[in-house]
Amino acid sequence: MLRLLVALAIGALLAVGASVAVVNVASPALTPPNQPLYNYGTR
Amino acid sequence: MKARMKARMKARMRARMRARPTLARVAPALLGAALAALALGPALGWGLVLRYDLLFVPDAPLLPDRGGFPRAVPSDLVVAVLSRVLPVEIVQKGMLAGIFVLAATGAAALVPPERRPARLVAAACFAWNIYLAQRLMLGQWALLLGVAGLPWAVRATGLRWTRLAAALLPAAIGGFQAMLISALTLMPIAVARRRVPVVAGILVVYSLPWALPALGSGAVTDPAGVDAFAARADGPFGVLVSLFSLGGIWSADAGLPGQESWWSATTRLLLVAAGVFGYARLRSRPDRPAWWGGLAVAAAAGFCVAALGAFPAGREALKGLVALWPGFGPLRDGQVYLAPLVLVAAVGLAAALRSGAPALVGVVAPVLVLPTLAFGAFGRLAVTTYPPEWRAVQRIVNDDPAPGALVSLPWGAHRAFAWNGGRVVLDPATKLFQRRVIADDTLFVGLPDGGRLRVRGEDALNRRVAGLLVAGDYAGLPARYVLVAASQNEFSLEPAGWKTVFRGEELHLLRR
Repeated sequence: MLRLLVALAIGALLAVGASVAVVNVASPALTPPNQPLYNYGTR
Repeated sequence: MKARMKARMKARMRARMRARPTLARVAPALLGAALAALALGPALGWGLVLRYDLLFVPDAPLLPDRGGFPRAVPSDLVVAVLSRVLPVEIVQKGMLAGIFVLAATGAAALVPPERRPARLVAAACFAWNIYLAQRLMLGQWALLLGVAGLPWAVRATGLRWTRLAAALLPAAIGGFQAMLISALTLMPIAVARRRVPVVAGILVVYSLPWALPALGSGAVTDPAGVDAFAARADGPFGVLVSLFSLGGIWSADAGLPGQESWWSATTRLLLVAAGVFGYARLRSRPDRPAWWGGLAVAAAAGFCVAALGAFPAGREALKGLVALWPGFGPLRDGQVYLAPLVLVAAVGLAAALRSGAPALVGVVAPVLVLPTLAFGAFGRLAVTTYPPEWRAVQRIVNDDPAPGALVSLPWGAHRAFAWNGGRVVLDPATKLFQRRVIADDTLFVGLPDGGRLRVRGEDALNRRVAGLLVAGDYAGLPARYVLVAASQNEFSLEPAGWKTVFRGEELHLLRR
């Protein structure tokens, strides 16, 4: 029973965290400016 | 009467048992397919996903001549062959979705079949993690194909050599990085199981397609790449914790949205810690798999290689090795060798969360910990189609029987086209034509202070042409064609004897 409750609590916590993360990412962002140089990546 | 009832009940039980295993057998594949659909999302529409190294082109030549290290061998050949019978769009989607399905089914196969929920935990963890996500954002599908096949190869180390050869096929298709990771993972297991000749033999044979051209390519490796491709912190806890959490890729642009937050970094760390703890506990269990010790050694070794770049002394040592022999070049991007640790975490999590509600949480936890991989990482993976101009210049050049190379300008390895949503991708010209393409293979890596690290190109001919371009000697270019993509740069090619054969809004093709 305790294992079940702990698992449910962890699952609920992760679900809340995931929802917050998704809401943050899904918010509209500014359009990035054009870049004249294209790096392979940025550290 | 009682005996009849008992017989009927037994028959019903047997029928149920027969039905269940079928569903249980396909459940990891279904989970993998569902995760693929969730992760790829918009990338599954009609068109091609073009992002960094993820460059597919229509009607690609079977044996392109690009010079330098054979980085896309034989993966590009396989794509070109498959594209002869299927649209390249389908081939790409098959490869991308196949990574998830292969990873999920393989990880599940490492868990005893009677532990059905635990198999799904392993499947979810191995098919949805930040290692896979970051490499996918960098477009390294060929590497991921090999990583996805890794659990199948681990499982096959104790089986007949034909099974191992079949299990290593994805890595063989993937090419050099996939094979190196497979070697790192399988060799300690082979030593422990006394199967070194068989495993090493298959690894060597499958490496020949890229190893032989590499030895004859004369490609050089710039030690500056050690600084450029060293692991970096992708959260608030530093590089080592990032690596232990299965992240730490060198490029910030390959990260997932929100990965640097405390919440994301902490939950990732806890999930992997639980997996490693579960794997360690497997040691004392009677059902410990025969590959347990070998995989643990491989994971530890992979972590050490990845962590080398985190320390100045480690970077200096790597630079020394690369300067000594270019063959050590693949060690520059050390984070890639975390793959066996990813597998350890997946199997360990499945061992820790075997059944009931914990297992259910274990199946959904990888997605909840990393929700921003969903929907093509919220738009970072999306489809596009090449404008007709690209196909037009491809036809002109490939229909021309006269020999001679093609120079791709502007001189830069990557492009960011408006029709591709501004996503950075390797210059498509490098894969479009059935003749030698001379293009810049110098890599630039941006630094947080606005500066850039320059990783010198590998191919001697490319470097020679770079010198001619700097000197403005367009007449001396050793090529039959020059392809100029619209940019802020202007090239005075026509006064130097080059004649326009195609001019569109975006592309300008000239011939001598």
